[in-house]
Amino acid sequence: MSKRQLAMVMDLNKCIGCQTCTVACKTQWTNRNGREYMYWNNVETYPGDGYPKKWMELGGGFDAAGDLQDGVIPNIEADYGVPWDYNYESLAATNVLGKDADKDGYSLKGAETPGLHPTTEPTWGPNWDEDEGAGNFPSDNYFFYLPRICNHCTNPGCLSACPRDAIFKRDEDGVVLVDLDRCQGYRYCIAGCPYKKIYFNPKISKSEKCILCFPRVEAGLPPACAQQCVGRIRFVGFLDDEESQVYKLVKKHKVALPLRSDYGTQPNIYYIPPTESPAKFDAEGKIIEGSTRVPMEELEALFGKEVHEVVKKLKAEQAKRKETGESEILDLLIAFHHSEMFRLDNNYYQEVAKAKGETPLAPIDTRYIKGKNTKVVFGGGHH
Amino acid sequence: MKKINKLLTTFAATSVAATMAMANPSITAVKVDDSIDLSKVSNDDKVWSKAKKADVVLYPQTTIKMNDKNANEVNANNAAKEAKILAIYNKNDVAFKIEWKDKTENKTDAKSSSTDYADGFAVQMPTNFADPKKLPYIGMGSEGRPVLVHLQKAVSSHYEPNGNKDVSLQVNRHQTNAFEKDLAAFDKSVSDVAISDYQRAYISEGFRSMTQIRGKDIAFNMNMSYNIGTWSATMSKSLKDGYLDLTSSGAFPVAFAVWDGAKLGRDGIKNLSTWVAVDFDGKKGNEALVTELTKKPEGDAKAGKASVDAMCASCHSYADKVAAMPTMAPNLSNIGGYSTEAYLAESIKDPSAVVVPGYNRNAHKNTAWYTVDAKGNRASTMPPMMSDDKQIADAVAYLMTLKAEVK
Repeated sequence: MSKRQLAMVMDLNKCIGCQTCTVACKTQWTNRNGREYMYWNNVETYPGDGYPKKWMELGGGFDAAGDLQDGVIPNIEADYGVPWDYNYESLAATNVLGKDADKDGYSLKGAETPGLHPTTEPTWGPNWDEDEGAGNFPSDNYFFYLPRICNHCTNPGCLSACPRDAIFKRDEDGVVLVDLDRCQGYRYCIAGCPYKKIYFNPKISKSEKCILCFPRVEAGLPPACAQQCVGRIRFVGFLDDEESQVYKLVKKHKVALPLRSDYGTQPNIYYIPPTESPAKFDAEGKIIEGSTRVPMEELEALFGKEVHEVVKKLKAEQAKRKETGESEILDLLIAFHHSEMFRLDNNYYQEVAKAKGETPLAPIDTRYIKGKNTKVVFGGGHH
Repeated sequence: MKKINKLLTTFAATSVAATMAMANPSITAVKVDDSIDLSKVSNDDKVWSKAKKADVVLYPQTTIKMNDKNANEVNANNAAKEAKILAIYNKNDVAFKIEWKDKTENKTDAKSSSTDYADGFAVQMPTNFADPKKLPYIGMGSEGRPVLVHLQKAVSSHYEPNGNKDVSLQVNRHQTNAFEKDLAAFDKSVSDVAISDYQRAYISEGFRSMTQIRGKDIAFNMNMSYNIGTWSATMSKSLKDGYLDLTSSGAFPVAFAVWDGAKLGRDGIKNLSTWVAVDFDGKKGNEALVTELTKKPEGDAKAGKASVDAMCASCHSYADKVAAMPTMAPNLSNIGGYSTEAYLAESIKDPSAVVVPGYNRNAHKNTAWYTVDAKGNRASTMPPMMSDDKQIADAVAYLMTLKAEVK
């Protein structure tokens, strides 16, 4: 357990699935160097198979007794989906008229299908089942968006699974990082993470994951996904900082819940469960008064039994606001000022770095640098 | 068909017999001319014709089970593999040639998928082997008993963070604003900076502590080539480097490991040998080491089985004893294959003598294999089980029979 824990709260009532967070993260970190298929931040539609495909069924995490569970490592092509390209270059040389043209003496290039098509046949991708949801249109269909990043767990499955001590949790803020110098690309971490939020980079043959934008955070900026969020759904702050909105939502008012805490990893990304959904229609297309489309069982599966209390509390708070005009919780969730959603304790990191004699904080696990048997760890053109 | 079956049976029977009889081989390193540059020796070099072949059995590592569900399924009943080992040396270098059977060639590169794994092999040596009864733990050493590991994997291209300021080559090819010839040129520049030889050296005191040696104070060379069902590999190293000095030794211990990519092999999912003595032909010294590593168990395995079954089976799984909780203690199914007698005897008498910091206490905290005090000293949760030397020798004799067969 780290000394302090940086956490994020995401308000699912406000997420519009615009993927601005996804793009902010991708352009910042994963559009290059073997990470092209990775989405450290993704927004999936729930219910849905998500990204990677059926990640909730791939094992990992801990059982009730605290034992790490076996897991499955997803395949890049089949379960994540590769970013495909189109056959632009061969298009010019290909007969676009189709097979019949062959008879007229035009040659078809190889066995290639004429026309514009993806160079690899895509079968899955990060938004493959976006907006599909469940239920029957128009009577009771429903879905909501579920943005996901690494949960920077207090008891990380990835860290527990690594036999090389290549994954570490920073003491100063609980950010979980891969020490690329120690990582040997074994991928047990991927099996161990129940959220499948750690990825294998085949180009460098090592695992990589969301770093909670620690270089930004150390400079006092929130993670890119949070800063760019147009719906202002993301709050960032330390869980022990009573001034932070994160603290107020998670600890004080207890209206934010972690995702699938039954995996036993003690995740640190919290969600305001979706309380707002339209009423269902009956067979005649009339509104069924008092009904709600998102089933509570679904929410309970994602956020635990506590979700019933939270939904009640949020509804009560709305009623209170209507009556009295007062509600601290709703004031927080409305997010009048974007900047107030982030409290990164600006000088904190500078103090930590100063205490360690580093500027800025070293992004590596320093335990082994001075290994007594390691005469040279960093040398020979490295670092 | 019948004939083939019969042949196979005969073959299997002989290999079992061979496994039993040759449980403790030694390797003779033949002296070759000092003018030959062994650091550049290849698989098909003529110099190997001078070497003497030794058969070393590599056993499936079953001590610790990792958390990859698919890998655990395909590796549930692995057989032992036989490797043919050749060794030569001169005043500068020592070189090994290793051959083992593998039905498929598994290579990976920068475009491989997350579920592809490469074949590979490793050669392990203790940095200190003065006391042949206190060799490092076979699984990448143990505290105070470091090992040097040389690893080669069939990875045809990979890239590492480096200080070469080639960040411009890390961008996605679609973001280069380059087309056709220019794009091809970019692709070429990228592939030119790839590391095409996945060859590494590590220093380790227990597998969790394994750390890559990146400096220039270690000189070694490895290569591997595949030809119809067989990998041939060589490893040569300077007799003296910053970690290990073999110049004044008459013999030294070595261990080999191979990985099968088709079986999702990497890390502990491998076959490995026990410590095998390498005898420098024509050099004196370290006779005790050769004796220790080649002797046959003296104890009574039958009597040993009785005490092992009575005292060990409630925590350890082995042979047909599978009642113990799998995470409770190391699985002993192949312990006789890759352990030395001295190690087994030491661990029965004083379980805390060798406590490998590899087992992840965080993964199975209810069944931690060791405790750590405030000073960082590890103590095994296994109590000393036997104190009578005869009883220990018998138990060791039985444990040495616990191993998979070569198929």
